[in-house]
Amino acid sequence: MKPSTVLIVDDSRVSRMLTRQHIQVRHADWIVEEAANGDEAIAKAKGLQPDLVLLDVNMPGMNGVDAAAALRAMLPNAHISLLTANVQAATRQRAEEIGVGFMEKPITAERIAQLIAPLEA
Amino acid sequence: MKSSVESLPLLQGVIDCIDVGTLVLDATERVVLWNRWMDQHSGVMSAETLERSFFDLFPEQRGKRLEAAVGQALRSNLPSLLSQTLNRWPLPLYANKTAAEKGERMQQQITVTPLNLGGNERYCLIQVSDVTAAVQRENLLREQAVALRSQTLLDDLTGVANRRHFDMAIDRETRRARRMGMPLSLMMLDIDYFKAYNDHYGHQQGDACLEAVASALSTMQQRPADLFARYGGEEFAVILPDTPADAAVMMANAMCRKVRDLRIPHQASRTDERIVTISIGVASSDSSNAGEVYDLINAADRALYQAKACGRNRVHSQ
Amino acid sequence: MVRLTELEHDALVELFNIGVGQAASAMSEIVNETVTMSVPAISFLTRASAAKLLASRSGGNGRLCGISQHYSGAFETEAILMFPEEKSQEIVRLMVGEAMPLAELSAMEQEAMSEIGNILLNSCVGSLANLLGHELHGSLPDYHVGYSEEILAQAGSEDTAVLMLHIEFVIERQQIAGDVAFIMDMTALHDLKQHVAGFLDRAIGGAQP
Repeated sequence: MKPSTVLIVDDSRVSRMLTRQHIQVRHADWIVEEAANGDEAIAKAKGLQPDLVLLDVNMPGMNGVDAAAALRAMLPNAHISLLTANVQAATRQRAEEIGVGFMEKPITAERIAQLIAPLEA
Repeated sequence: MKSSVESLPLLQGVIDCIDVGTLVLDATERVVLWNRWMDQHSGVMSAETLERSFFDLFPEQRGKRLEAAVGQALRSNLPSLLSQTLNRWPLPLYANKTAAEKGERMQQQITVTPLNLGGNERYCLIQVSDVTAAVQRENLLREQAVALRSQTLLDDLTGVANRRHFDMAIDRETRRARRMGMPLSLMMLDIDYFKAYNDHYGHQQGDACLEAVASALSTMQQRPADLFARYGGEEFAVILPDTPADAAVMMANAMCRKVRDLRIPHQASRTDERIVTISIGVASSDSSNAGEVYDLINAADRALYQAKACGRNRVHSQ
Repeated sequence: MVRLTELEHDALVELFNIGVGQAASAMSEIVNETVTMSVPAISFLTRASAAKLLASRSGGNGRLCGISQHYSGAFETEAILMFPEEKSQEIVRLMVGEAMPLAELSAMEQEAMSEIGNILLNSCVGSLANLLGHELHGSLPDYHVGYSEEILAQAGSEDTAVLMLHIEFVIERQQIAGDVAFIMDMTALHDLKQHVAGFLDRAIGGAQP
């Protein structure tokens, strides 16, 4: 199976490390890139063309929801999901409206497994 | 806890007598205790509740703050407070039969506390208080406080006349001076480098300094019609009816001296001695130039500004 | 002063953000509006510096409203949520949604602030405790009003440390900033650092610098 490419977007270094860890432990051959904010994510995604993008919501500059919407338009076939501590009903709704997934933090092995499942199918 | 009487019946008696709704849930959120207060005010008797899930008995509480609080007590060992302000009438509880018939729920304050009984048994204690009377008292007191505040003439912190009193007095004295053809003097004074004092020593000590200065100065006014008032944050004003300019300046100098003699340390002051000092602006009107209230205040303000510009810790008159 | 590594610091910020995220969700249930809360920064200060920092930011008349709860177990601390006094009245009014006349904070509004403190502090501390794998025992909230030095004097002694969280609230498009101070002694700070290091070890395998 062709190795997938994942882009992790979060301003917290620990969160990025945790997410990377949970992915690489299951798929050491996958390409995992990181971005610390929305603008960086969009710039990287252009070249990277990731299969999966995971975004935090509360970030400095462009927030995760706006970035997700932009990426959704840019990458129609990618799996995109919010991965966030912002567990408001309103945020969940926005995620649905723009056509991306929603996953609550804290970041655990089970939750990451759920998020990468579509790529393993 | 110690008691000399056989404990269990005594405790049950106490629980059924206290004026607080008391119920206990086990780790699966089933009711294991439901006291008489709850019987009386909910219309649900303890026999109906025991061993039933609390949220089956009160399904409208699912997804609400009370359910979250019970969860936090049982799973995270943390207590919660449900204020009646943010949680209006959460449970169907009534003060009495009449209220129940009208559907008027009581105002409730609820606390949810974890209860650990050794081993792995964790329970959740819910206490409900009827705060209807407290709310009514509170509303009444608030209305009265608002009314009183609008009438008071004294400054909270220093006890001297407040700005409201000053405004009324200066108005009255200006008109009187004009009518009687008598001189009227006004001082505006403030504490030098007061912001720096607050930043250096903290606000609490800043307040103490204001009190000390106000106390020292307010006792110096000789006559009943003289008024020492707190004009603003660190600004004070003195109204001296029937007082010509030179007498006012003499008094102002004495006031400067008196504050210096207090020798309150002020490390952040930029005057030589690093003690608390004041600057005073004096303005006077007499029969020849009796003007409006604001003329006198502006003149005193300008004089105060001059005193500051010339180095502070001094008196300047217009 | 106990120092945290950059990674431990980052992990703590992230853990608190998860906590306030849940508090925001609980509060938005109550107010039926979107409530956003985040912790942009945390710092470790002496009690004196913390008091000065709070005073310099407070504006208005310098008076703060503080809601405190005591925690013990995994580590011991007095946690205090603080807002400038005028802001706290604004928050209650936003949460209650009524047009109230401008008056002193009454006992019933104090109770509402106590509940807000209770929700926020329990969320922060509860999620921290859960993620670090240890339980805490907490008290019900106490309400205080006064200058920063007075409020922080609730607990601790001369060489007490304060872990300060700066919190950004957004309710109904109004932005309000508050602070949470965790007053801890050296033992508690050590315990906290150990718990965070342990969490990182378990989560990331302690491989990173």
